[in-house]
Amino acid sequence: MEGKIKKISRMLASKEISCTELTQQYLAAMERDDGKLNAYVNRTPDAALQAAKAVDQKIAAGEALLPLEGIPMTLKDNISTKGIETTCCSKILKGYVPIYDATVWEILQKQNAVLLGKTNMDEFAMGSSCETSCFGGAKNPHNLAHVAGGSSGGVASAVGGNLAVYGLGSDTGGSIRQPASFCGLVGLKPTYGAVSRYGLIAYASSFDQIGPITSTVEDAALVYDAISLYDERDSTSSGRKGAPTAQSLVNPIKGMKIGIAKEYFEGIRDDVRTAVEEAIRVYESLGAEIVHFDMPSLKYSLPVYYILACAEASSNLGRYDGIRYGYRTDHYADRDEMVCKTRSEGFGEEVKRRILLGTYVLSSGYYDAYYKKAQNLRGTLVHAFEDAFQKCDVLLAPTVPMTAFPQNFTAQDPVETYLTDICTVPVNIAGLPAVSIPCGSDAAGLPIGMQLIGNRFCEGTILNAAYQYETAVGEHVFRTADMGVSV
Amino acid sequence: MVTHEEIRKIARLAKLSISDDELDRLTKDMSEIIGFADTINAVSPDASDFDNINNLSNAFREDTVVPSYDQEEILKNAPNQEDGYFLVKKRV
Repeated sequence: MEGKIKKISRMLASKEISCTELTQQYLAAMERDDGKLNAYVNRTPDAALQAAKAVDQKIAAGEALLPLEGIPMTLKDNISTKGIETTCCSKILKGYVPIYDATVWEILQKQNAVLLGKTNMDEFAMGSSCETSCFGGAKNPHNLAHVAGGSSGGVASAVGGNLAVYGLGSDTGGSIRQPASFCGLVGLKPTYGAVSRYGLIAYASSFDQIGPITSTVEDAALVYDAISLYDERDSTSSGRKGAPTAQSLVNPIKGMKIGIAKEYFEGIRDDVRTAVEEAIRVYESLGAEIVHFDMPSLKYSLPVYYILACAEASSNLGRYDGIRYGYRTDHYADRDEMVCKTRSEGFGEEVKRRILLGTYVLSSGYYDAYYKKAQNLRGTLVHAFEDAFQKCDVLLAPTVPMTAFPQNFTAQDPVETYLTDICTVPVNIAGLPAVSIPCGSDAAGLPIGMQLIGNRFCEGTILNAAYQYETAVGEHVFRTADMGVSV
Repeated sequence: MVTHEEIRKIARLAKLSISDDELDRLTKDMSEIIGFADTINAVSPDASDFDNINNLSNAFREDTVVPSYDQEEILKNAPNQEDGYFLVKKRV
Protein backbone atom coordinates (compact mmCIF):
# COMPACT_ATOMS: atom_id res chain seq x y z
CA MET A 1 0.00 0.00 0.00
CA GLU A 2 1.30 3.44 -0.82
CA GLY A 3 1.68 5.50 2.32
CA LYS A 4 0.31 8.95 2.98
CA ILE A 5 3.72 10.57 3.28
CA LYS A 6 4.82 9.84 -0.29
CA LYS A 7 1.39 10.74 -1.61
CA ILE A 8 1.33 14.13 0.14
CA SER A 9 4.93 14.77 -0.84
CA ARG A 10 3.98 14.21 -4.49
CA MET A 11 0.90 16.45 -4.17
CA LEU A 12 3.07 19.23 -2.73
CA ALA A 13 5.80 18.88 -5.37
CA SER A 14 3.28 18.89 -8.21
CA LYS A 15 1.57 21.97 -6.68
CA GLU A 16 -1.74 20.13 -6.43
CA ILE A 17 -2.02 21.72 -3.00
CA SER A 18 0.25 24.16 -1.16
CA CYS A 19 1.69 23.18 2.19
CA THR A 20 -0.05 26.16 3.77
CA GLU A 21 -3.44 25.03 2.42
CA LEU A 22 -2.81 21.48 3.60
CA THR A 23 -1.79 22.71 7.06
CA GLN A 24 -4.88 24.90 7.28
CA GLN A 25 -7.03 21.86 6.46
CA TYR A 26 -5.48 19.97 9.37
CA LEU A 27 -5.82 22.93 11.74
CA ALA A 28 -9.51 23.30 10.76
CA ALA A 29 -10.08 19.56 11.24
CA MET A 30 -8.50 19.75 14.70
CA GLU A 31 -10.85 22.61 15.55
CA ARG A 32 -13.80 20.53 14.37
CA ASP A 33 -12.95 17.02 15.59
CA ASP A 34 -10.46 17.19 18.44
CA GLY A 35 -13.11 18.20 20.97
CA LYS A 36 -14.38 14.63 20.60
CA LEU A 37 -10.97 12.91 20.64
CA ASN A 38 -8.98 14.96 23.18
CA ALA A 39 -5.86 13.89 21.27
CA TYR A 40 -4.04 17.22 21.48
CA VAL A 41 -3.06 18.88 24.75
CA ASN A 42 -1.28 21.82 23.13
CA ARG A 43 -1.90 23.03 19.57
CA THR A 44 0.90 24.84 17.75
CA PRO A 45 -0.66 26.51 14.67
CA ASP A 46 2.02 29.23 14.49
CA ALA A 47 4.88 26.71 14.33
CA ALA A 48 2.90 24.66 11.80
CA LEU A 49 2.16 27.56 9.47
CA GLN A 50 5.72 28.87 9.72
CA ALA A 51 7.13 25.48 8.62
CA ALA A 52 4.49 25.27 5.87
CA LYS A 53 5.54 28.67 4.56
CA ALA A 54 9.18 27.57 4.36
CA VAL A 55 8.12 24.47 2.41
CA ASP A 56 6.03 26.53 -0.01
CA GLN A 57 8.98 28.86 -0.62
CA LYS A 58 11.18 25.86 -1.41
CA ILE A 59 8.61 24.50 -3.85
CA ALA A 60 8.25 27.93 -5.49
CA ALA A 61 12.03 28.05 -5.89
CA GLY A 62 11.92 24.67 -7.63
CA GLU A 63 13.89 22.85 -4.92
CA ALA A 64 13.36 19.15 -4.27
CA LEU A 65 11.69 18.19 -0.98
CA LEU A 66 13.17 15.92 1.67
CA PRO A 67 11.12 12.78 2.47
CA LEU A 68 9.24 14.23 5.48
CA GLU A 69 9.23 17.83 4.36
CA GLY A 70 5.90 19.59 4.80
CA ILE A 71 4.13 16.58 6.32
CA PRO A 72 1.71 17.55 9.14
CA MET A 73 2.60 15.62 12.29
CA THR A 74 2.54 15.54 16.07
CA LEU A 75 4.81 14.73 19.02
CA LYS A 76 3.91 13.01 22.28
CA ASP A 77 4.08 15.52 25.11
CA ASN A 78 7.18 13.92 26.68
CA ILE A 79 9.39 14.91 23.72
CA SER A 80 11.10 18.24 24.44
CA THR A 81 10.30 21.12 22.10
CA LYS A 82 12.21 24.35 22.59
CA GLY A 83 9.86 27.22 23.36
CA ILE A 84 6.78 24.95 23.36
CA GLU A 85 5.33 23.77 26.69
CA THR A 86 6.12 20.10 27.40
CA THR A 87 4.22 18.62 30.36
CA CYS A 88 4.28 14.79 30.23
CA CYS A 89 0.59 15.39 30.98
CA SER A 90 1.52 15.84 34.64
CA LYS A 91 0.49 18.66 36.96
CA ILE A 92 4.09 18.73 38.19
CA LEU A 93 5.36 19.90 34.77
CA LYS A 94 2.54 22.27 33.80
CA GLY A 95 4.05 25.48 32.49
CA TYR A 96 7.46 23.91 31.80
CA VAL A 97 8.91 25.25 28.55
CA PRO A 98 12.07 23.39 27.43
CA ILE A 99 15.07 25.48 26.43
CA TYR A 100 16.32 22.80 24.05
CA ASP A 101 14.94 20.43 21.42
CA ALA A 102 14.92 16.66 21.63
CA THR A 103 17.25 15.25 18.97
CA VAL A 104 14.35 13.67 17.07
CA TRP A 105 12.60 17.03 16.87
CA GLU A 106 15.83 18.73 15.82
CA ILE A 107 16.13 16.19 12.97
CA LEU A 108 12.52 16.67 11.88
CA GLN A 109 12.73 20.46 11.97
CA LYS A 110 15.60 20.26 9.48
CA GLN A 111 13.03 18.58 7.21
CA ASN A 112 10.48 21.36 7.86
CA ALA A 113 8.12 18.98 9.63
CA VAL A 114 4.78 20.69 10.24
CA LEU A 115 4.16 20.33 13.99
CA LEU A 116 0.40 20.60 14.59
CA GLY A 117 0.71 20.22 18.35
CA LYS A 118 1.73 18.06 21.30
CA THR A 119 -0.38 15.04 22.06
CA ASN A 120 -1.96 13.46 25.10
CA MET A 121 -0.39 10.60 27.10
CA ASP A 122 -0.60 8.80 30.39
CA GLU A 123 1.16 10.88 33.05
CA PHE A 124 4.93 10.33 32.60
CA ALA A 125 4.03 7.53 30.13
CA MET A 126 2.79 5.35 33.01
CA GLY A 127 -0.43 3.68 31.94
CA SER A 128 -2.24 1.67 29.31
CA SER A 129 -5.28 3.85 28.64
CA CYS A 130 -4.09 7.48 28.45
CA GLU A 131 -6.48 8.08 31.35
CA THR A 132 -3.80 8.93 33.91
CA SER A 133 -3.20 12.15 31.92
CA CYS A 134 -3.90 15.31 33.93
CA PHE A 135 -5.83 16.49 30.85
CA GLY A 136 -8.18 13.46 30.79
CA GLY A 137 -7.76 10.57 28.35
CA ALA A 138 -7.70 10.55 24.53
CA LYS A 139 -10.61 8.75 22.86
CA ASN A 140 -10.52 5.97 20.29
CA PRO A 141 -11.39 7.37 16.85
CA HIS A 142 -13.10 4.07 15.90
CA ASN A 143 -15.45 4.28 18.90
CA LEU A 144 -15.46 7.34 21.14
CA ALA A 145 -16.74 5.36 24.14
CA HIS A 146 -13.44 3.45 24.19
CA VAL A 147 -9.91 4.54 25.08
CA ALA A 148 -7.19 5.20 22.51
CA GLY A 149 -4.77 3.14 24.61
CA GLY A 150 -1.56 4.20 26.25
CA SER A 151 0.62 5.62 27.02
CA SER A 152 0.99 7.32 23.59
CA GLY A 153 -2.82 7.50 23.32
CA GLY A 154 -2.92 11.04 21.96
CA VAL A 155 -0.61 10.25 19.02
CA ALA A 156 -2.74 7.19 18.11
CA SER A 157 -5.97 9.12 18.52
CA ALA A 158 -4.69 11.95 16.30
CA VAL A 159 -3.28 9.69 13.57
CA GLY A 160 -6.26 7.29 13.67
CA GLY A 161 -8.65 10.28 13.50
CA ASN A 162 -6.68 11.80 10.57
CA LEU A 163 -5.68 14.84 12.61
CA ALA A 164 -1.99 14.18 11.82
CA VAL A 165 -0.24 12.11 9.16
CA TYR A 166 2.16 10.62 11.65
CA GLY A 167 3.36 11.10 15.20
CA LEU A 168 6.27 10.19 17.40
CA GLY A 169 5.55 8.35 20.63
CA SER A 170 7.71 6.54 23.14
CA ASP A 171 7.58 2.86 24.10
CA THR A 172 8.82 1.69 27.50
CA GLY A 173 6.60 -1.38 27.91
CA GLY A 174 4.32 -1.14 24.87
CA SER A 175 3.33 2.53 24.81
CA ILE A 176 3.66 2.84 21.00
CA ARG A 177 2.43 -0.62 19.99
CA GLN A 178 -0.58 -0.92 22.31
CA PRO A 179 -2.32 2.35 21.28
CA ALA A 180 -1.43 1.61 17.63
CA SER A 181 -3.15 -1.78 18.04
CA PHE A 182 -6.21 -0.22 19.73
CA CYS A 183 -6.58 2.41 16.99
CA GLY A 184 -5.89 0.20 13.93
CA LEU A 185 -2.49 1.74 13.19
CA VAL A 186 1.14 0.85 12.61
CA GLY A 187 3.39 1.44 15.64
CA LEU A 188 7.13 0.79 15.54
CA LYS A 189 9.23 0.37 18.68
CA PRO A 190 12.83 0.49 17.40
CA THR A 191 15.84 -1.39 18.76
CA TYR A 192 17.14 0.14 21.99
CA GLY A 193 19.77 2.67 20.90
CA ALA A 194 18.53 3.08 17.31
CA VAL A 195 16.85 6.42 18.00
CA SER A 196 18.33 9.07 20.28
CA ARG A 197 16.58 9.54 23.62
CA TYR A 198 18.12 12.99 24.13
CA GLY A 199 15.27 15.30 25.12
CA LEU A 200 12.83 12.47 25.81
CA ILE A 201 11.67 13.02 29.40
CA ALA A 202 12.79 9.84 31.12
CA TYR A 203 10.52 7.17 32.58
CA ALA A 204 12.76 4.05 32.61
CA SER A 205 15.96 4.83 30.76
CA SER A 206 17.08 1.29 29.91
CA PHE A 207 13.67 0.56 28.29
CA ASP A 208 12.52 3.89 26.75
CA GLN A 209 12.65 4.23 22.98
CA ILE A 210 11.10 6.78 20.59
CA GLY A 211 9.31 5.56 17.45
CA PRO A 212 6.59 6.39 14.92
CA ILE A 213 2.84 5.75 14.87
CA THR A 214 1.46 5.89 11.31
CA SER A 215 -1.44 4.58 9.25
CA THR A 216 0.70 2.56 6.83
CA VAL A 217 3.90 0.51 7.01
CA GLU A 218 5.67 2.60 4.37
CA ASP A 219 5.09 5.74 6.45
CA ALA A 220 6.56 4.05 9.53
CA ALA A 221 9.63 3.02 7.51
CA LEU A 222 10.17 6.54 6.17
CA VAL A 223 9.90 8.14 9.61
CA TYR A 224 12.15 5.50 11.19
CA ASP A 225 14.77 5.99 8.47
CA ALA A 226 14.76 9.74 9.14
CA ILE A 227 15.04 9.64 12.94
CA SER A 228 17.40 6.69 13.48
CA LEU A 229 20.66 8.63 13.47
CA TYR A 230 23.64 8.40 15.81
CA ASP A 231 23.63 11.13 18.47
CA GLU A 232 26.63 11.85 20.65
CA ARG A 233 24.37 13.42 23.31
CA ASP A 234 22.85 10.00 24.11
CA SER A 235 25.56 7.65 25.40
CA THR A 236 23.42 4.61 24.46
CA SER A 237 22.84 5.82 20.89
CA SER A 238 24.04 3.62 18.05
CA GLY A 239 21.87 4.91 15.21
CA ARG A 240 20.37 2.73 12.50
CA LYS A 241 22.55 -0.12 11.33
CA GLY A 242 22.31 -1.00 7.67
CA ALA A 243 20.38 0.33 4.69
CA PRO A 244 17.23 2.46 4.91
CA THR A 245 14.27 0.19 5.69
CA ALA A 246 11.96 1.82 3.14
CA GLN A 247 14.06 0.29 0.33
CA SER A 248 13.50 -3.31 1.38
CA LEU A 249 9.72 -3.25 1.93
CA VAL A 250 8.89 -4.74 -1.45
CA ASN A 251 11.24 -7.72 -1.10
CA PRO A 252 9.38 -11.04 -1.35
CA ILE A 253 9.21 -12.94 1.95
CA LYS A 254 9.13 -16.44 0.46
CA GLY A 255 11.19 -18.65 2.77
CA MET A 256 11.19 -16.16 5.64
CA LYS A 257 10.93 -18.06 8.92
CA ILE A 258 8.18 -16.76 11.19
CA GLY A 259 8.36 -17.99 14.77
CA ILE A 260 5.32 -18.60 16.94
CA ALA A 261 6.04 -18.89 20.67
CA LYS A 262 3.20 -20.67 22.45
CA GLU A 263 3.40 -18.46 25.56
CA TYR A 264 2.39 -15.35 23.63
CA PHE A 265 -0.99 -16.93 22.93
CA GLU A 266 -1.92 -17.85 26.52
CA GLY A 267 -4.73 -15.82 28.07
CA ILE A 268 -5.54 -14.13 24.76
CA ARG A 269 -9.19 -13.33 24.00
CA ASP A 270 -10.65 -15.74 21.42
CA ASP A 271 -11.41 -13.17 18.71
CA VAL A 272 -7.87 -11.76 18.99
CA ARG A 273 -6.36 -15.25 18.74
CA THR A 274 -8.53 -16.06 15.71
CA ALA A 275 -7.49 -12.86 13.92
CA VAL A 276 -3.78 -13.48 14.58
CA GLU A 277 -4.08 -17.12 13.47
CA GLU A 278 -5.75 -15.91 10.27
CA ALA A 279 -2.77 -13.60 9.71
CA ILE A 280 -0.42 -16.56 10.16
CA ARG A 281 -2.30 -18.28 7.31
CA VAL A 282 -1.82 -15.17 5.15
CA TYR A 283 1.91 -15.41 5.80
CA GLU A 284 1.88 -19.08 4.83
CA SER A 285 0.16 -18.17 1.58
CA LEU A 286 2.94 -15.63 0.95
CA GLY A 287 5.48 -18.44 1.20
CA ALA A 288 6.72 -17.87 4.75
CA GLU A 289 7.68 -20.87 6.81
CA ILE A 290 5.97 -21.07 10.20
CA VAL A 291 8.08 -22.40 13.08
CA HIS A 292 6.52 -23.27 16.45
CA PHE A 293 8.44 -23.35 19.76
CA ASP A 294 8.19 -22.59 23.48
CA MET A 295 9.70 -19.65 25.36
CA PRO A 296 8.91 -20.56 28.98
CA SER A 297 10.82 -17.63 30.49
CA LEU A 298 8.35 -15.21 28.86
CA LYS A 299 6.03 -15.75 31.80
CA TYR A 300 8.38 -13.74 34.03
CA SER A 301 8.37 -10.74 31.71
CA LEU A 302 5.69 -8.75 33.48
CA PRO A 303 7.06 -8.82 37.04
CA VAL A 304 10.59 -8.30 35.68
CA TYR A 305 9.40 -5.30 33.69
CA TYR A 306 7.43 -3.69 36.51
CA ILE A 307 10.22 -4.18 39.06
CA LEU A 308 12.96 -2.76 36.84
CA ALA A 309 10.97 -0.01 35.10
CA CYS A 310 9.60 1.27 38.41
CA ALA A 311 13.05 1.13 40.03
CA GLU A 312 14.41 3.28 37.22
CA ALA A 313 11.37 5.58 37.41
CA SER A 314 11.79 6.13 41.14
CA SER A 315 15.32 7.33 40.45
CA ASN A 316 14.49 9.35 37.32
CA LEU A 317 11.55 11.12 38.94
CA GLY A 318 13.67 12.14 41.92
CA ARG A 319 14.49 15.33 39.99
CA TYR A 320 10.99 16.80 40.50
CA ASP A 321 11.54 18.74 43.71
CA GLY A 322 9.79 22.04 42.95
CA ILE A 323 13.01 24.03 43.00
CA ARG A 324 14.24 24.40 39.42
CA TYR A 325 11.17 23.93 37.22
CA GLY A 326 7.55 22.90 37.26
CA TYR A 327 5.02 22.97 40.07
CA ARG A 328 5.84 24.06 43.65
CA THR A 329 3.45 23.78 46.59
CA ASP A 330 2.20 27.04 48.13
CA HIS A 331 2.49 26.33 51.85
CA TYR A 332 5.38 24.66 53.62
CA ALA A 333 7.36 24.94 56.83
CA ASP A 334 10.78 23.73 55.66
CA ARG A 335 12.58 22.46 52.60
CA ASP A 336 11.77 18.83 53.24
CA GLU A 337 8.08 19.59 53.53
CA MET A 338 8.26 21.70 50.38
CA VAL A 339 9.70 18.78 48.40
CA CYS A 340 7.29 16.19 49.85
CA LYS A 341 4.18 18.35 49.37
CA THR A 342 5.25 19.44 45.89
CA ARG A 343 5.66 15.82 44.80
CA SER A 344 2.50 14.59 46.52
CA GLU A 345 0.35 17.35 45.00
CA GLY A 346 2.09 17.31 41.63
CA PHE A 347 2.15 13.57 40.84
CA GLY A 348 -0.97 11.54 40.10
CA GLU A 349 -1.87 8.27 41.77
CA GLU A 350 -0.34 5.84 39.25
CA VAL A 351 2.95 7.73 39.21
CA LYS A 352 3.10 7.66 43.03
CA ARG A 353 2.35 3.93 43.01
CA ARG A 354 5.22 3.25 40.62
CA ILE A 355 7.64 5.49 42.53
CA LEU A 356 6.73 3.61 45.73
CA LEU A 357 7.16 0.21 44.08
CA GLY A 358 10.50 1.29 42.64
CA THR A 359 11.68 2.65 45.97
CA TYR A 360 10.55 -0.56 47.70
CA VAL A 361 12.43 -2.92 45.37
CA LEU A 362 15.58 -0.81 45.64
CA SER A 363 15.44 -0.38 49.41
CA SER A 364 17.77 -2.12 51.81
CA GLY A 365 16.56 -5.63 52.56
CA TYR A 366 14.60 -6.00 49.32
CA TYR A 367 17.22 -5.15 46.69
CA ASP A 368 18.51 -8.72 46.28
CA ALA A 369 15.08 -10.37 46.29
CA TYR A 370 13.55 -8.05 43.72
CA TYR A 371 15.85 -5.71 41.82
CA LYS A 372 18.87 -7.95 41.48
CA LYS A 373 16.77 -11.04 40.84
CA ALA A 374 14.81 -9.20 38.14
CA GLN A 375 18.04 -8.02 36.50
CA ASN A 376 19.28 -11.60 36.36
CA LEU A 377 15.99 -12.73 34.84
CA ARG A 378 16.32 -9.92 32.33
CA GLY A 379 19.50 -11.64 31.21
CA THR A 380 17.63 -14.95 30.96
CA LEU A 381 14.99 -13.34 28.72
CA VAL A 382 17.66 -11.79 26.49
CA HIS A 383 19.15 -15.27 26.00
CA ALA A 384 15.68 -16.75 25.30
CA PHE A 385 15.23 -14.30 22.43
CA GLU A 386 18.75 -14.99 21.16
CA ASP A 387 17.82 -18.69 21.00
CA ALA A 388 14.51 -17.89 19.30
CA PHE A 389 16.29 -15.96 16.55
CA GLN A 390 18.43 -19.01 15.85
CA LYS A 391 15.18 -20.69 14.80
CA CYS A 392 13.36 -17.88 12.97
CA ASP A 393 13.76 -14.48 11.31
CA VAL A 394 10.83 -12.78 13.02
CA LEU A 395 8.44 -13.66 15.84
CA LEU A 396 4.72 -13.09 15.38
CA ALA A 397 2.45 -12.49 18.38
CA PRO A 398 -0.68 -10.61 19.40
CA THR A 399 0.06 -7.03 20.50
CA VAL A 400 -2.56 -6.90 23.26
CA PRO A 401 -4.71 -9.77 24.62
CA MET A 402 -7.88 -7.74 23.88
CA THR A 403 -9.20 -4.73 21.97
CA ALA A 404 -9.57 -1.16 23.30
CA PHE A 405 -11.13 -1.00 26.77
CA PRO A 406 -14.19 1.09 27.46
CA GLN A 407 -13.36 4.34 29.23
CA ASN A 408 -12.64 4.14 32.98
CA PHE A 409 -12.13 0.39 32.72
CA THR A 410 -8.61 0.50 34.12
CA ALA A 411 -9.30 2.27 37.38
CA GLN A 412 -10.21 -0.88 39.38
CA ASP A 413 -7.12 -2.93 40.19
CA PRO A 414 -3.52 -2.03 39.27
CA VAL A 415 -2.31 -5.61 38.73
CA GLU A 416 -5.21 -6.41 36.38
CA THR A 417 -4.24 -3.38 34.32
CA TYR A 418 -0.56 -4.37 34.29
CA LEU A 419 -1.52 -7.82 32.92
CA THR A 420 -2.73 -6.23 29.67
CA ASP A 421 0.94 -5.41 28.89
CA ILE A 422 1.84 -9.12 28.84
CA CYS A 423 2.62 -9.31 25.10
CA THR A 424 4.39 -5.97 24.72
CA VAL A 425 6.92 -5.83 27.60
CA PRO A 426 9.23 -8.70 26.55
CA VAL A 427 10.84 -6.76 23.67
CA ASN A 428 11.55 -3.77 25.91
CA ILE A 429 13.25 -6.09 28.39
CA ALA A 430 15.45 -7.47 25.60
CA GLY A 431 15.91 -4.16 23.71
CA LEU A 432 14.47 -5.60 20.48
CA PRO A 433 12.50 -3.92 17.67
CA ALA A 434 8.82 -4.74 17.14
CA VAL A 435 6.08 -3.34 14.95
CA SER A 436 2.36 -3.59 15.67
CA ILE A 437 0.07 -3.72 12.65
CA PRO A 438 -3.70 -4.22 12.36
CA CYS A 439 -5.00 -7.72 11.57
CA GLY A 440 -8.78 -7.45 11.92
CA SER A 441 -11.59 -6.13 14.08
CA ASP A 442 -13.75 -7.44 16.91
CA ALA A 443 -17.57 -7.75 16.78
CA ALA A 444 -17.90 -4.12 17.87
CA GLY A 445 -15.64 -2.94 15.04
CA LEU A 446 -12.66 -2.17 17.27
CA PRO A 447 -9.29 -2.95 15.66
CA ILE A 448 -7.18 -6.00 16.59
CA GLY A 449 -3.39 -5.77 16.30
CA MET A 450 -0.47 -8.15 16.02
CA GLN A 451 3.23 -7.56 16.37
CA LEU A 452 6.25 -8.67 14.41
CA ILE A 453 9.36 -8.87 16.57
CA GLY A 454 12.85 -8.82 15.11
CA ASN A 455 16.39 -9.34 16.22
CA ARG A 456 18.47 -6.30 17.22
CA PHE A 457 18.60 -3.73 14.38
CA CYS A 458 16.42 -5.90 12.11
CA GLU A 459 13.80 -3.16 11.65
CA GLY A 460 14.17 -3.71 7.89
CA THR A 461 13.10 -7.36 8.23
CA ILE A 462 10.03 -6.76 10.40
CA LEU A 463 8.88 -3.82 8.29
CA ASN A 464 9.34 -5.90 5.14
CA ALA A 465 7.16 -8.65 6.65
CA ALA A 466 4.61 -6.07 7.82
CA TYR A 467 4.47 -4.43 4.39
CA GLN A 468 3.90 -7.74 2.61
CA TYR A 469 0.99 -8.55 4.93
CA GLU A 470 -0.46 -5.05 4.45
CA THR A 471 -0.27 -5.45 0.67
CA ALA A 472 -1.96 -8.86 0.89
CA VAL A 473 -4.90 -7.76 3.08
CA GLY A 474 -5.28 -4.14 1.95
CA GLU A 475 -7.41 -1.25 3.08
CA HIS A 476 -10.24 -3.03 4.84
CA VAL A 477 -7.77 -4.03 7.57
CA PHE A 478 -5.50 -0.96 7.45
CA ARG A 479 -8.04 1.81 7.93
CA THR A 480 -8.29 5.10 9.76
CA ALA A 481 -11.57 6.47 11.12
CA ASP A 482 -13.99 8.49 9.06
CA MET A 483 -13.03 11.92 10.39
CA GLY A 484 -10.33 14.53 10.08
CA VAL A 485 -8.56 15.20 6.76
CA SER A 486 -8.84 12.63 3.99
CA VAL A 487 -5.74 12.56 1.83
CA MET B 1 2.08 -8.67 52.86
CA VAL B 2 3.03 -5.01 53.02
CA THR B 3 2.26 -3.05 56.20
CA HIS B 4 1.20 0.56 56.75
CA GLU B 5 4.52 1.11 58.50
CA GLU B 6 6.48 -0.12 55.46
CA ILE B 7 4.51 2.15 53.13
CA ARG B 8 5.19 5.11 55.44
CA LYS B 9 8.90 4.30 55.43
CA ILE B 10 9.05 3.89 51.63
CA ALA B 11 7.09 7.11 51.16
CA ARG B 12 9.59 8.93 53.38
CA LEU B 13 12.46 7.59 51.27
CA ALA B 14 10.66 8.63 48.08
CA LYS B 15 9.82 12.09 49.48
CA LEU B 16 6.08 11.62 49.16
CA SER B 17 3.63 12.57 51.88
CA ILE B 18 0.77 10.13 52.15
CA SER B 19 -2.59 10.99 53.68
CA ASP B 20 -4.41 8.45 55.90
CA ASP B 21 -6.95 7.84 53.10
CA GLU B 22 -4.18 7.15 50.63
CA LEU B 23 -2.32 4.95 53.08
CA ASP B 24 -5.03 2.27 53.17
CA ARG B 25 -5.43 2.18 49.43
CA LEU B 26 -1.71 2.25 48.67
CA THR B 27 -1.00 -0.48 51.21
CA LYS B 28 -3.62 -2.69 49.56
CA ASP B 29 -2.36 -1.88 46.04
CA MET B 30 1.25 -2.41 47.01
CA SER B 31 0.47 -5.74 48.68
CA GLU B 32 -1.07 -6.93 45.43
CA ILE B 33 1.76 -5.59 43.31
CA ILE B 34 4.47 -7.04 45.55
CA GLY B 35 2.61 -10.37 45.61
CA PHE B 36 2.70 -10.30 41.83
CA ALA B 37 6.40 -9.33 41.81
CA ASP B 38 7.09 -12.26 44.13
CA THR B 39 6.35 -14.72 41.32
CA ILE B 40 9.92 -14.22 40.12
CA ASN B 41 11.24 -15.72 43.33
CA ALA B 42 9.96 -19.13 42.20
CA VAL B 43 12.79 -19.41 39.65
CA SER B 44 16.52 -19.48 39.85
CA PRO B 45 17.89 -17.68 36.81
CA ASP B 46 21.10 -18.62 35.07
CA ALA B 47 23.88 -16.37 36.17
CA SER B 48 23.93 -13.65 33.58
CA ASP B 49 25.76 -10.51 32.74
CA PHE B 50 23.12 -8.07 33.85
CA ASP B 51 25.30 -5.01 33.42
CA ASN B 52 25.10 -5.20 29.67
CA ILE B 53 21.52 -6.07 28.80
CA ASN B 54 21.31 -3.89 25.73
CA ASN B 55 24.63 -5.09 24.38
CA LEU B 56 25.98 -1.58 24.26
CA SER B 57 29.23 -0.07 25.27
CA ASN B 58 29.41 3.50 26.48
CA ALA B 59 30.09 5.90 23.65
CA PHE B 60 32.80 8.23 24.87
CA ARG B 61 33.62 11.55 23.26
CA GLU B 62 36.17 14.28 23.82
CA ASP B 63 35.31 16.57 26.71
CA THR B 64 35.42 19.80 24.77
CA VAL B 65 34.10 23.14 25.93
CA VAL B 66 31.14 24.32 23.86
CA PRO B 67 28.62 27.12 24.45
CA SER B 68 25.92 25.93 26.86
CA TYR B 69 22.47 27.14 27.80
CA ASP B 70 21.76 30.68 28.86
CA GLN B 71 21.37 31.10 32.64
CA GLU B 72 18.48 33.52 32.22
CA GLU B 73 16.66 31.08 29.95
CA ILE B 74 17.09 28.24 32.45
CA LEU B 75 15.85 30.35 35.34
CA LYS B 76 12.66 31.25 33.47
CA ASN B 77 11.32 27.78 34.33
CA ALA B 78 11.94 28.18 38.06
CA PRO B 79 8.89 28.75 40.27
CA ASN B 80 10.90 31.52 41.96
CA GLN B 81 14.30 33.09 41.28
CA GLU B 82 16.44 36.07 42.21
CA ASP B 83 19.85 37.42 41.13
CA GLY B 84 20.68 34.34 39.08
CA TYR B 85 19.71 31.89 41.83
CA PHE B 86 16.81 29.50 42.33
CA LEU B 87 14.84 30.93 45.25
CA VAL B 88 13.00 29.09 48.02
CA LYS B 89 11.43 30.71 51.06
CA LYS B 90 13.76 31.20 54.01
CA ARG B 91 12.69 29.10 56.99
CA VAL B 92 14.30 28.52 60.34
